[in-house]
Amino acid sequence: MSVASPGTAKLWEQNAFPRHRIQWCPGCGDFGVLAALKMALVRMGVMPHEVLLVGGIGCSGQTRNYLNGNGFHGTHGGPLGYALGAKMVDPGLTVIALAGDGDTLAIGMESFIHVCRRDPAMALILMNNGVYGLTRGQDSPTTGLGKIMEEHTEEHPPFVDPARLAITAGATFVAQSFSGDPKHCADVYVEAFRHPGFALVNDFSPCVTYNKFNTSNWYREHGEHIPEGHDPSDRAAAWALLDDFDRRGKLPLGIIYRAPRRKKAHARLPIWEEELTGIDPAPMFSAFR
Amino acid sequence: MVVNNLKLLVGGVQLRDAVTTVTDILGKLFVRAGLHVLAMERGYASTIYGAHQFDPLVVSATPPLSYGDDRTDILVALEHDANPDASIQPNRDTILRHGKNLKEGGVLIYDSSADAVETSELKARGVKVFPLAARQIAQRDLKMEVTKNTIVTGALLRLLEFDMDYALFGAYLEGRFLSKGRGVVDINLEAARRGRAAVEEILSSNGWDTIGYRLEPRPSALPNLLLTGNEAIGMGSVMAGCRFYSGYPITPATSILEFLEKHLPRYGGRVLQGQNERESIRAAIGASIAGVRSAVGSSGPGISLKVEEFGLSGATETPLVIIDTQRAGPATGMPTKSEQGDLAMAVYAGHGEIPRIVLSAGTIEECYSLAFEAFDLADKYQCPVFLLSDLTLTDGRKNLPQTFFTENQKPVVRHGLVRASDIEGDGYHRFAMTPSGISPRSIVGTPGAIFKVSGTEHDETGLITTDPSKRKAMVEKRMRKMQTYLREDAKPPQVFGSPDGVPLLAGWGSTKMPLLDAQARLRAEGTETCVVYFTHIWPFPVHLVAPLLRQGSELIVVEQNYAGQLADLIQQECLVETSRVLKYNGRPFYTADIAGGVRQVLAGGTRVVRVGEEAPDAAIVIVPEGD
Repeated sequence: MSVASPGTAKLWEQNAFPRHRIQWCPGCGDFGVLAALKMALVRMGVMPHEVLLVGGIGCSGQTRNYLNGNGFHGTHGGPLGYALGAKMVDPGLTVIALAGDGDTLAIGMESFIHVCRRDPAMALILMNNGVYGLTRGQDSPTTGLGKIMEEHTEEHPPFVDPARLAITAGATFVAQSFSGDPKHCADVYVEAFRHPGFALVNDFSPCVTYNKFNTSNWYREHGEHIPEGHDPSDRAAAWALLDDFDRRGKLPLGIIYRAPRRKKAHARLPIWEEELTGIDPAPMFSAFR
Repeated sequence: MVVNNLKLLVGGVQLRDAVTTVTDILGKLFVRAGLHVLAMERGYASTIYGAHQFDPLVVSATPPLSYGDDRTDILVALEHDANPDASIQPNRDTILRHGKNLKEGGVLIYDSSADAVETSELKARGVKVFPLAARQIAQRDLKMEVTKNTIVTGALLRLLEFDMDYALFGAYLEGRFLSKGRGVVDINLEAARRGRAAVEEILSSNGWDTIGYRLEPRPSALPNLLLTGNEAIGMGSVMAGCRFYSGYPITPATSILEFLEKHLPRYGGRVLQGQNERESIRAAIGASIAGVRSAVGSSGPGISLKVEEFGLSGATETPLVIIDTQRAGPATGMPTKSEQGDLAMAVYAGHGEIPRIVLSAGTIEECYSLAFEAFDLADKYQCPVFLLSDLTLTDGRKNLPQTFFTENQKPVVRHGLVRASDIEGDGYHRFAMTPSGISPRSIVGTPGAIFKVSGTEHDETGLITTDPSKRKAMVEKRMRKMQTYLREDAKPPQVFGSPDGVPLLAGWGSTKMPLLDAQARLRAEGTETCVVYFTHIWPFPVHLVAPLLRQGSELIVVEQNYAGQLADLIQQECLVETSRVLKYNGRPFYTADIAGGVRQVLAGGTRVVRVGEEAPDAAIVIVPEGD
């Protein structure tokens, strides 16, 4: 990773080239995520060409186009799969998946669970707004956050909690942030990007147009920073913290769980012609003789 | 006396009787002795244990042209007991299923440990029967049931008068078992001797000097390898510089995954067993974005699940090799049976239109060479490249000289990959318009060549757009790559014989060998034909094919599916009429199927011949399987 320089800061602070016209609704939570990402990447000191932003389908996935760095945008539910492959090839890359709650927790749920388990050193910023915004307001897997529902139906089941799910699935870094507080988001993102395994940041990023319940004000009222004494390396403590916040009807903001696993290092895979010369087939022969 | 020319079939209960350990040992011994082995019809079931399994080997002095018909010279039945579900006598599966195909004067060896089998019908046909109580000898005398197959092997070596001093067999055992101790080698040698002694007795009691078949070692200057089509694809991929492979377990593609899991790390690569078919292909696409040559392999059901990503690879111009080892569909179909039913999917699957290349292997050699070519083309054209194989090839084995792999080596060329030193200024555009349609491609980590890539329609810079003129230009740029391919890399079909005025027999996939064999058989009958065999199927090389097809008197397309997928493609692209010989019962084409089908088409009137099946349509003529 390159060392930060004033030049790097400028590269990240300006919007992406080629310049995309930003197409988020005024007041969209994703603006906060974009601002926080810029701050975090400047602080990381990485160069844009070393970064791969993998966007999901939905408003959240657009972030990759408004920010410097390489961008890849694939199929719905796919970001973690592409990111995993890229990271396995080149451990030196900073790989960041940027996806929404529908992409991650509905159509991409199987990918999400297993990537938590695989623990590649990359981050997912889950821009969680509790609604399918781009398709105009359908329920997402996180719809219903904070709503008291006496009864459920198959059509409208209880919401999914990505933080609990990630811990259960084996993720080694689980944090939450609120995009209305980009400075705090940036602090969390930097920790996520530096984490030597898979880092989930469940970022509450309100949809101002289609989620009239989980509004910015609602998040402001319900979000609460995790107390300083919390030990994120303690899984039981992380769980107790989530229980405690749930009981009080609050959303914990900050690092809930962080417990890196020991992993085998892997060199970058051979890419260039000069790394692929004189390939000797002989070692493959022995089983066939 | 038949020397160095026989078809040997070993059958038994799957897993319990370890059928393929016998054929693996025999195959290796024969190849080490300079003989040729072709084993393309391995029959197994989509269960772990208990089903009937069989594995025929064709052994010959010269490279065999085909795996022949279903006629067997020597039948080895490893099961020692009856199948309770089969009421017909003799009720041992191997004898029941394959005994009828034994040639007159053929040989049957079966395990008589439990009881003798009624074989008078076979004997009446001149079959020499060897009841061998292998399991009993193994359990009672050697106190080790697992040696029963070595007893059978020893019996076979004696009957074939092959390796009588166990020079080859002993060396094989040492190579395989010495690490477990000398005792393991010795007990196996003892087991082989017991098997020999047992059949020696039967020979003398019947007054037979010989079984009428013999194998003689031949001098062979070159070491040979006995390998499957999937292993050849694996090797070809390694040699092509593929350094990332992913796959989800599925028959019959899994052996590529297993081969590469074993070997690719030694070449600095990584192999990912996906948690599902989609994770597999997405990871392979991500790996390609990061710059490595990557591939994903699967079979029908898994390929269906990946379809969305074909479009993504095409739209984002991300190189990807997709290996489809076809099995009988649709749905779960017959997971362990062969078919050529995925051609239409490879050519068309997905919404919208993308550039794509479809290659199809027909022999184990082509599995190797086309795997290399697939990676090269994917790199050059930045699109999905399909490599089709089918179950007959994936599990079929053949010996090839080691030099085939060492001498056909080509350097890996990374077409169109941009390096930092190539970049001038900040004008890099990932999707730059070019006459060829191919834009220089940067990978993550290249200073000055940051890309924005999306499956959403985009302009030269990668900016999302729905602007009509930009959209039109980008579609045309992508599709132009296929014109470039047709100009620079498309290959004509392989032509065997002269096409002038004779019927043309067209095919693809594993039908190549029986096609050529049928051609020889028809020629012997006085019917001259020309075989036109396709490996580079899409984009369809009309300019190379149509003139050729016009030279023939008629066109008969032979393929292993119901509709005639290649025939449809030829008709559509070349505007010529086709007749069809089709087979879809799960068994590979036999020479007699093709020869019989072609005879019927040429006899007049019939346009479609379906092998061995009842069909209500009066226009459809049926030839019985195996003629």
